[in-house]
Amino acid sequence: MPDRRLLCLAGAALLCIVAFMTIGLRGNIGFVLALRAMKLAALLQVSVSIAVSTVIFQTVTNNRILTPSIMGLDALYLFGQMLLVFLLGGLGYAALDAQLKFGGEIIVLMALATGLLLPMLRRRTDMGLMLLAGIIFGILFRSLHSLLARLIDPNDFAVVQGASFANFNDVRTDLLAFAAILTIVGIVIAWRARHVLDVMALGADTATGLGISWSRTVTGLLLLVSALVAVSTALVGPVAFFGLLVVALAERVVDTRSHAALMPAAMLTAVIILVGGQALFQHALGSSSTLGVVIEFVGGFAFLVLLVFGSRK
Amino acid sequence: MNLRTIAAFAAFAFSALPAHAVDILTAKGLVQIAVSPTKIAVLDIAALDTLDRLGIKPAGVPQKLYLPQLEPLKQGAEIVGDLFEPDLEALSALGPDLIIVGGRSSTKASATAQVVQTIDMTMDGDDLVAQAKERLAAYGVLFGKTAEAASAVEELDARIKAAKAAIAGKGNGLIIMTNGPKVTAYGPGSRFGWVHAALNLPAAVPDIEAANHGEAISFEFIAKANPDWLLVLDRAAAIGSGEQGAKTTLDNELVAETTAWKKNQVIYLPAAEFYIAAGGVQSIQRVVATIAEAFTAAR
Amino acid sequence: MSIAAAKQSSKTGWIAGLMLAVLFVFSLCVGVGDMPIIRLFSDGRVLELLLVSRLPRTLAAILTGAGLAIAGLIMQTLARNRYVEPATAGTAQSAELGILLVTLLLPSASLLFKSLAASAAALLGTTLFLMTAHRLPPTQPFLVPLFGLVYGGVIGAAVTFVAWQADLLQYLSVWTNGDFSGVLRGRYELLWLGALMVVIAWIVADRLTIMALGRDASIGLGLDYARMLQLGLVIVSVISALSVVVVGMIPFVGLVVPNIVSRLMGDNIRGTLPFVAASGAILVLGCDILGRLIRHPYEIPVGTVMGCVGGLIFLWLLFRRPSHV
Repeated sequence: MPDRRLLCLAGAALLCIVAFMTIGLRGNIGFVLALRAMKLAALLQVSVSIAVSTVIFQTVTNNRILTPSIMGLDALYLFGQMLLVFLLGGLGYAALDAQLKFGGEIIVLMALATGLLLPMLRRRTDMGLMLLAGIIFGILFRSLHSLLARLIDPNDFAVVQGASFANFNDVRTDLLAFAAILTIVGIVIAWRARHVLDVMALGADTATGLGISWSRTVTGLLLLVSALVAVSTALVGPVAFFGLLVVALAERVVDTRSHAALMPAAMLTAVIILVGGQALFQHALGSSSTLGVVIEFVGGFAFLVLLVFGSRK
Repeated sequence: MNLRTIAAFAAFAFSALPAHAVDILTAKGLVQIAVSPTKIAVLDIAALDTLDRLGIKPAGVPQKLYLPQLEPLKQGAEIVGDLFEPDLEALSALGPDLIIVGGRSSTKASATAQVVQTIDMTMDGDDLVAQAKERLAAYGVLFGKTAEAASAVEELDARIKAAKAAIAGKGNGLIIMTNGPKVTAYGPGSRFGWVHAALNLPAAVPDIEAANHGEAISFEFIAKANPDWLLVLDRAAAIGSGEQGAKTTLDNELVAETTAWKKNQVIYLPAAEFYIAAGGVQSIQRVVATIAEAFTAAR
Repeated sequence: MSIAAAKQSSKTGWIAGLMLAVLFVFSLCVGVGDMPIIRLFSDGRVLELLLVSRLPRTLAAILTGAGLAIAGLIMQTLARNRYVEPATAGTAQSAELGILLVTLLLPSASLLFKSLAASAAALLGTTLFLMTAHRLPPTQPFLVPLFGLVYGGVIGAAVTFVAWQADLLQYLSVWTNGDFSGVLRGRYELLWLGALMVVIAWIVADRLTIMALGRDASIGLGLDYARMLQLGLVIVSVISALSVVVVGMIPFVGLVVPNIVSRLMGDNIRGTLPFVAASGAILVLGCDILGRLIRHPYEIPVGTVMGCVGGLIFLWLLFRRPSHV
């Protein structure tokens, strides 16, 4: 009964949000609450974006193993950002409005992602090739990013290195409003497309047979995925295994691949892990920037266990 | 609700009181400070170093102070996060009148300004010494310690004059930083450029691009530059890990060919003072003293 | 091997050998110091520069490249999967963890001891990977590289976490990006141990080819499977650990080179091993030369160059000739 399970997840997520807002309050309560509310808004957006983009991406690529970040999409975003700095550097890129830049970065990512992934999906090549290409894309974009970083600001280890883990403590609040619009539009589109997604999950041939223009739908969905990835990467940075973990867990909880249940379940799971984790680490344990590392560690580890024991059934 | 608006409004409300308002020079230009602050939080090691010279004790300090000399400042002070990530909630709980950021923490100025007025006291580049004096004067006015500030400036000037005299006519120098087995070079205009500019030390390679983090080089580069003096910063020492010293890295056949190595003219700079607290008035003095001492000893 | 194939392979061999020789000479000529070839023997300083700096750096690049390519080949044989390599399946990350722990517990340890610790950690990490990977259902071959990827990521996260706690994050960057700029006479010789491992791989090449058929088939053919597995693990671990200790991590080589060579020449390890080694050396040396030239006289780490050049070449190969598997 996915409905009752979804209600349980929603309850747990709500509990995490309350814990995040209330644990360890001190100082100017009004100010701290406002501060936490801003951070919460960012964390919620990140959770939702990653959950939805991963679910859609897995459906479009017709597998449960690939995620946007494994295919190097967040690395691609960072690369696109660096490319813009590199190309527009002389024109005072740094002086541009943050939201304007963000808009430009999103368009660059959408163009790059669709341009690169669509031909691969059209070809309907085997899983191994996709995965391999994904690994390559990831390393390639990270390296190009760091090469450009060196050409712009040589040896700036902070620039090159800072991108390896997400930092949930230091979210970009200046992009919050713009990102919120994108996220909400993204969810609405995803929700309205839930039945189309169910059909897409049957495979390209079946979907075409059932009267769906496969190519056009995939292009649209890829654009949606890139926009959502851009939101989460811009707000907190790359999160390698978070999406994988969230969707795998959510799928186990609701026990269905129906998008009407899976998408909300994945969103709620992401909120529980991210907001709950931040409440625990930052507010209860007082440790600031470790959550990103811990999520990668625990997330990766939990996934390994699921993979080995889950597939032996 | 927009926090920044509230903060700006609050700042405006205070500035309406004409009583003690002063204008002081920061990295972002002249800033008006409403009242003489009594409770401050400082998130910059160089600022802490200079304030310490003036005998001012901040109420909020970062987790890690890097300089052992500053460690006493932690007693009775609140920890308000670290240089890269100020803890806004701790700052709010502390409730200071003023927050000082600079260098590594300067990008967080807009975040901490949500709590209370924040000034950015970053110092950088060739003019570091002049900026350090400006900061000294500003703190003197701000905290009513103009006499101490003036004497600190005199002390600094005397040190630099002595160092210039010792350096004059003893050849050129190359500033390098080691990070484990890797080496980076710095020239005039870089973050360490002030050594060339303020002390009149000729650069062995004048055209190293003015990149803040220096340029990755090979040992062949050092051998070809053949500096008379090597000024070495051990980055691992600056961030507090003693792993593989700069000496081990440099002790090789190519560096051994340079005049600097042959004449034993390699200066290991006090790392945390040079790298992290750059611009703090006591730190500059210790760095300058180290350089002057080595040059005086040379014939 | 048919006559046509043999001809093809000897032609490829000539090309590879020639390219390596050209790059070798070129690498000796590229650097910051002045080195007029004409005065090589008349001016002692020129010869000195060659022996102290250029030759060691060139050799280090060749040894690392050949070693990593072979390590990738063996790893792929042991895991029976084309898409794993030491840098993406936890071997290199385990080696890093080993060095990090030794650095924390015994800061004064010698380089040799650190290499030993790194090798031991790499061995442990790789063994665990293979043991677990063998439990994955063989019907879904893409699970293995995925498992390796996540596994490497988990160990990498542990490394970052420990380094972060101990304030060694900056120092860690030295290992996470391969770089030959610190290589001089007396600072790379450990890599020859890696060359020894390549020779051992060559000696047991035929048995490795049989291993690629799988456990049951190879035992049926009279192979001491367990012993060979151990040997393969040691070779992979030692090579990866040594290159991490001496120059840092270089991505891609182990993944790209064996795949390209097997596409061109098939899967007989005895036949392809020299080409895998030579191609690995060519790739790494070429990237290092590029890194020395792009911002001359300053350096760009070989790990960064490799990520770009290797990635582009590989994607081109991948999509130019679609897989027939």
